Amino acid sequence: MQKTRTYVYLHILLLFYSLGAICSKFAGEAEFLSFPFFMYYGLLLTIMVIYAVFWQQILKVIPLTTAYASKAVTVIWGLVWGMLIFHETLTLQKAIGAGIIMFGIVMVVKADEE
Amino acid sequence: MKNEVMYGILFLFSVFISSVSQILLKKSAGKAYESKIREYLNPPVMIAYFIFFVSTLLTMFAYRYVPLSLGPVLEATGYLWVSLLGWFFLKERISRKKWIGLGIIIIGILFFNL
Repeated sequence: MQKTRTYVYLHILLLFYSLGAICSKFAGEAEFLSFPFFMYYGLLLTIMVIYAVFWQQILKVIPLTTAYASKAVTVIWGLVWGMLIFHETLTLQKAIGAGIIMFGIVMVVKADEE
Repeated sequence: MKNEVMYGILFLFSVFISSVSQILLKKSAGKAYESKIREYLNPPVMIAYFIFFVSTLLTMFAYRYVPLSLGPVLEATGYLWVSLLGWFFLKERISRKKWIGLGIIIIGILFFNL
């Protein structure tokens, strides 16, 4: 049970990390040096700092390789947020591509374990 | 369409320099320092964080035209850069399984973008 809870925390943290990408995109789409630009970029940096702190904490209880393999889930969050917030389309091709990438990431990370 | 390609390349460059920054930090982590302050305030570490900061800016600019769903997909090239840079500068081994995993990531990225 304890372990499940840790993995839930890990994925909440990764979800939080994916919000940074949303801010990054909003900042990029805003007019350069405008208020929204600074606001979103500031938000991005804040998210990254908080993420870094909690990532260090999580690494104390989860193996490094497991944590990095789990990071592959950000590919899914990119697709989800892209669809929900930026109205991007999800095609079968993208879904398969994402699956292949995630498989590759897990393989790379697991190779380091050996 | 052309913008998406050009800014996609900018995004890839940003991921590359972020990987360079990671290798710099890793190289620096292996050394012994006089004090805790020196651990963070030495040229390689400061340069690494500066490069990382620049990377977040470039990524943000790239997101002007790069779809959010594509972001994490391109970020997956980071595994390739870190592995290659680690091999070249830190003499880290890349096992056969790792090469295969990296290849799968690349295939996934190409498939995603067909």
